[in-house]
Amino acid sequence: MCRNHSLKTFREGFNKYSILIVLSIIILYALFFVPHFASRINLMAIMFQYSIIAFLALGQMLVVLTGGIDLSQGSLVALTSIIAAVAMSHFGLVPALLLAVIGCTLLGITSGTLVAYTKMPPFIITLGMLGIGRGLAKFIANAKPVPIQDPFFRSLGRKVIFGIPLSVILLLIVCVVLVWFLRNRRLGRYIYAVGSNEESARLSGINTKKVKLFAYSMSALLTSIGGLVWAARLGSGSPIGGANYEMESIAAVIVGGGSLSGGKGSVTGTIAGVLLFGVINSILNLSGISPFWQGAIKGVFILLAVAASQIHSKKNVSMERWAENE
Amino acid sequence: MNTEPIYKLEKINKSFSGVKVLNNVDLKLFKGEVHCLMGENGAGKSTLIKIISGSYTADNGTIYYQDNQYNAYSPRWAHNHGINAIYQEIDLVPHLSVAENISLGSEPTTKMKSIDKKAVRQKAINVFADMGIQIDVNEEVGKLTVAVQQLVAIARALSFNSKILILDEPTSVFTNKEIDLLFHLINKLKSQDIAILYISHHIEEIFKIGDRITILRDGNLIRTGMIHEFDKDSLIRAMVGRDVHISRKTSKEINAEEILKVVGLTRRGAVSDISFNLYKGEILGIGGLVGAGRTEMGRLIMGADKIEKGQIFYKGKQTKIKSPNNALKMGIGIVPEDRKGEGIIAERSVIENMAYSAIVKEEKRSIVPWKKIKEEVLQRFKSLNVQPQRPDKSIKLLSGGNQQKAVLGKILNADCDVLILDEPTRGVDVGAREEIYRVIQDFKNNGKSIIMISSDLIELISQSDRILVMAKGKIAGEIAGEEATEEKVLSLAFNFGGAEIVS
Amino acid sequence: MNKNLSVNMKDLLKLIGVLLILISFAAILSKGVFLRPINLFNITIQNLILMIAALGQLLIIISGGIDLSVGSIVGFSGVLFVLLQDMTEPLTYIIALMVVIIIGGISGVLVTCVKLPSFVVTMAMSYIVFSLAKIIGGGASVYTGISGGEISATVLSLYKSHFLGLPYALIIAVLCIIGVSLYFRTSMGHFIYTIGGNEKTALLSGVPVVRVRISAYILAAILASIAGIMFVGRVGLGDPQAGDLLTLDSIAAVTVGGASLSGGVGTVAGTVMGVLILGVLNNILNMLNVSPSIQPAVKGIIILLAVYLNSRKNRS
Repeated sequence: MCRNHSLKTFREGFNKYSILIVLSIIILYALFFVPHFASRINLMAIMFQYSIIAFLALGQMLVVLTGGIDLSQGSLVALTSIIAAVAMSHFGLVPALLLAVIGCTLLGITSGTLVAYTKMPPFIITLGMLGIGRGLAKFIANAKPVPIQDPFFRSLGRKVIFGIPLSVILLLIVCVVLVWFLRNRRLGRYIYAVGSNEESARLSGINTKKVKLFAYSMSALLTSIGGLVWAARLGSGSPIGGANYEMESIAAVIVGGGSLSGGKGSVTGTIAGVLLFGVINSILNLSGISPFWQGAIKGVFILLAVAASQIHSKKNVSMERWAENE
Repeated sequence: MNTEPIYKLEKINKSFSGVKVLNNVDLKLFKGEVHCLMGENGAGKSTLIKIISGSYTADNGTIYYQDNQYNAYSPRWAHNHGINAIYQEIDLVPHLSVAENISLGSEPTTKMKSIDKKAVRQKAINVFADMGIQIDVNEEVGKLTVAVQQLVAIARALSFNSKILILDEPTSVFTNKEIDLLFHLINKLKSQDIAILYISHHIEEIFKIGDRITILRDGNLIRTGMIHEFDKDSLIRAMVGRDVHISRKTSKEINAEEILKVVGLTRRGAVSDISFNLYKGEILGIGGLVGAGRTEMGRLIMGADKIEKGQIFYKGKQTKIKSPNNALKMGIGIVPEDRKGEGIIAERSVIENMAYSAIVKEEKRSIVPWKKIKEEVLQRFKSLNVQPQRPDKSIKLLSGGNQQKAVLGKILNADCDVLILDEPTRGVDVGAREEIYRVIQDFKNNGKSIIMISSDLIELISQSDRILVMAKGKIAGEIAGEEATEEKVLSLAFNFGGAEIVS
Repeated sequence: MNKNLSVNMKDLLKLIGVLLILISFAAILSKGVFLRPINLFNITIQNLILMIAALGQLLIIISGGIDLSVGSIVGFSGVLFVLLQDMTEPLTYIIALMVVIIIGGISGVLVTCVKLPSFVVTMAMSYIVFSLAKIIGGGASVYTGISGGEISATVLSLYKSHFLGLPYALIIAVLCIIGVSLYFRTSMGHFIYTIGGNEKTALLSGVPVVRVRISAYILAAILASIAGIMFVGRVGLGDPQAGDLLTLDSIAAVTVGGASLSGGVGTVAGTVMGVLILGVLNNILNMLNVSPSIQPAVKGIIILLAVYLNSRKNRS
C-alpha cells in the first residue's frame, strides 16, 4: 500500500516547467473545445477576477519562500477595502489609498516582527492576525459594507487599456519588478537563502530576521493592492469580504511549484498556479458542469502537484547517495 | 616552513555534561602545511575542530591567532578572520546556484546596489579556475553530487581569503578521481600559504598528503610529529595506544544453535552482499569505520529500510521483516546510534520513554495494562540504576549515560531474543558504561543474542565473542573473539579496498 | 503512568486558573447574572460542536500535523446525513460513518505513506470535501432526504430532549471527551504522542507509525462527522458551510489549551479548557457590549498571547 511506484509515472512529466505545460494544454483545450472560452467577455472575466488572487499569491509566495505561511491575507483584503472606503469619504482619494495600504502593511509588519523575533510558529501568528484584521475591518465598518462614492476610483475597477484590464497591467508591472527583485537584489536572493538553509544563511552574515520581516511586510503590501483592486471592482468596502482568499493563494503557490518547507517557488509558477485555477473554473462554468466540482478539482490538483514535487526531490536524494558508487 | 605558528591552541579543556572530551590539548598550525588530525571515533577530534571554528567554547585554555590571545570567539568571527571549516554535512544553500553560494552574504553589487550577476559569476569562475576545476557555476547546488558540493564549499571558503581551512573527512564521499582532484587542490592551497587541518580515517591519504600529524586519544594529545616519523603500524598503535592487554570476558560456550541468518543483504548506497550467522548466546561485534554501512545494516535487519536483495532467516525460517514494529513483535529490537534523534523523545518523561516498546508488545490488547507495564518499567528503572531516581522527569534532563540506560531499558522490556546495539556506549561516562556492559553480558548469558556495532575497539574486543569488520558497505573480514586485537580490526577496516587509493 | 500521559497538572491548573479569572471577571461585570446556572449552561451548549471538532483537531495536532479539513467534513457530513434520511435509521449512520472513514483514511494514507505535508493534504481534502458537500446537496442547504424523507426525530431532538435533565447533545459531547481520553490510554492512542514527539524514535521503538497515524486521521474525521450531525440537530438542516469557522476555531482552542503545533504535546483536559475559555471570552465580550465586530480581533490577540506564553515557557 505504501509504495511510491504507482506515482512513478508522474516523475517523467513533472519537472520544473510542469505547471506551465499543464496550463498550456488546458488553455489550448479550452480555446478549441470549450465554446465561448475564447470570447472577450470570458477572458476579461477571468482576468478581472483572478488578478486579485494573483496579488495575494505573489505576497504569499514571498512568505512561503522563507519557509513561513501567511493566513491573514483574506482578512487584510477586507481591512484594506474598508479603510479605503471609509477614508475616501473623509479625506479624498489619494490619502485614502495611502491610508489603506499603510494600515494593511502595518499589520504585516507586526506579523513579520513576531515571526522574526519570537519563537512562535508563523501559522499561529498569522492566524491571530487573521482574527485581528477581520475584527478591525468589522469594527471600522460597523460590520456593514461601506459604499465607495468616488466615481474615479470606481471607474478604475473597470478600466481597460489596450484591451487589458488596468488591474492586470498593474499585476504585470508588479510581476516584472518582483522577478527583477528576486533575481537581482541581495534581499531577493536572501529570501531564497533563508528558506533554503537558514543556518547557512545566518553564518554567511545575512540578517535573517530582517529578511523574514521584509517577506511578511511585502505580503501585506501586495495584499493591500489586491484589496484595493477588489474594492474598486466591487464599488464598496466589505468587512466580510476576502474570506478564505489566503487558502486560494497558498494553493496557487503550491501548485505553482512552491514548497511549504521553503526555498522553492517562482513568480511564473505562482501566476501559472493562479491562472490554472481560473481557467479550470471558467471551463467548468462554460461546459455546464456544476461549479460545485471546482473545489474537488482544485484539491486534486494540489495533491498531484505536491506528490509530484515530493517524488522529484526524493529522486535527487537517492542520486546523491549514489554518487560514490556509480 | 616558518618557525612561528599562525595559529596556536594551548591547554584546551572541554567537557560535556561531566564527561571530559578534551584534556589539556595543544595544537600548532603553520602557514602552508597540511596538518593531519588523527584518532579513533570519540577521541575528541570533532570537538577540537569545533572549538577552532568557533562553534564550541573551550572550558579553559588559550587561543593565539594573528598576534592576539583569545579564550573564545564566535563562528561568525572565525569566518571573518579567515578560519573556515568544511564539515561532512555541507553548509550550502541548495536552492541557489554555485556562483551565488560562493558570494552569498558578500555579493558584489552594481552602482544601483543590485547584485552584479556578471561579477558574481566571474568571481566563481575565477575561484574555480584558481583551483583548477571546471564546473558549471550556474547549476543549482542541490542538484550536484555531494562530492562536487564539497568542492563548492571549499571554493566558497577560499573566496573569503581563508588563512586556515579545516577539512573534516572530505573524501568520505569521493571517487578516486575526485580524491586526486582534491589533493591537487590541497597542494595548490599549500603553495598559497594556507594552513590546512585535515581530518581523515584513511591512513593512505594521510601519508600521501600530510606534513605533520597530531594524534588524539580519549581527549588527550598523544603525539605530534612530522609525517616521516611515522609508518602505518606506528600510527595505528599510537591511535589505539594501550599496551595493556584487554581482558576478555570469558563466556560460556556458545550454543551452536543459530537464531539469525542473513544472506546477501543488499541495499543500493548502503550495503552490499552482507551475509553472516548469529548464534544463541553470542555477542557478534561489528567493527569498521564510520560510514562503512554498519548502521544501515542494522536498520535493514530491523525492517526500517527496505531490503533490495537478500534474505533473512530467523529461528530457522525465512522471514520478511516489514517494519520495526514487525521486528519487535518477532523479538528483534534495536538501540540506535543517534540517541537524541532516534532513541528518545526528549519532551516526555523517563518512564514513558522506557515503556514504548513494552506497549508495542501489548498492542493487541484493547486496553493497555498500564499498571503491569508501569511496574515492569519501574523495576527496570531501578535495576539499571538510572540517575537521578526520578522516573517522572523529562528524559532530556538526564546525562547521556543515563539516557542510554533508559533507551536500553526500553528495548529490554520488550523481551527480545536478538538485540542490535548501535554504538551502545557512545558519549557515555565510565560508570554507566560498566553498567551497560553488565546488562549486555547478562542478556547474553540468558542464551540471547546481540549484534553490537561499535567504533570503540576496546569495547568491541572485550565484549564480543566474534567480530565482523565492515568496510565500504561490505564485510571485510571476520575475526574470532580470542584472536581479536585492535590492530587486526583496524587494518581490516582501513585496508579493505583501500589499496586503490595508494596506487 | 497516566499522569505522564495526560499532563503536567501545572499546565492544566494554569488553564483552569485563567478560566476562573475570566468567570469571576464576568460575574462581577454582570453583577452575578453570569453565574446563573442557565447562563453557564448555555455557554456550554453553544460550544459543544466546537468541542467535538476540537477533540479531532487535538488528535492530529498531537501527531505533529494539522487538520484544515475539519470544517468541511462537518458541513459535508451534515449534508450527507440529511440526504440519507430516506433510509432506515441505523443505515443512515452506518453509511455516513463509512464515507467519513474513507475521507479520513485518504488523508492519513497521503500523509503517512506518500509523506505529503499534513497542511497541504488536509487543505486539498478540505476543498474536495466541501465541493462534494455542494455536489450532493445541490450547493445549498438541505432539509430532507433525497426523496423527501424527514430528518430523524432523534437527531432533531438532540438539543431539546433531556436525559436526567441533560440534553442529549451534552451527553454526546461528554461521551466524545471520555472516548478520546480512553483512546489515549490504548496503545494506538498513546502512540500518537510518540510519533508526534519524535517519529524516528517511535519507528525504531517498534511503534506501528503508519497504522497509528492513519487511525488518528480516521478518528478525527469521525469526530468531525459527529459534530456535523449535531449541527443538523441544532438547526434542522444540512449546510455545506456549517463548519466554516470551525477549522480555525478548533486550532485556536487546541493551542490555547496548551498543545504545540510541533507535535507530541497536548491534552484532552487542556483542549476542553481551551474551548471553554474561548466560549466564556465571547460571552464576556457580548456582555461588555463590545460589538461582535471586534470580537475576532480579541480572539486573535488571545491566541497570540497564549501561544507566546507557551513558547516562552519552552525556551527556559
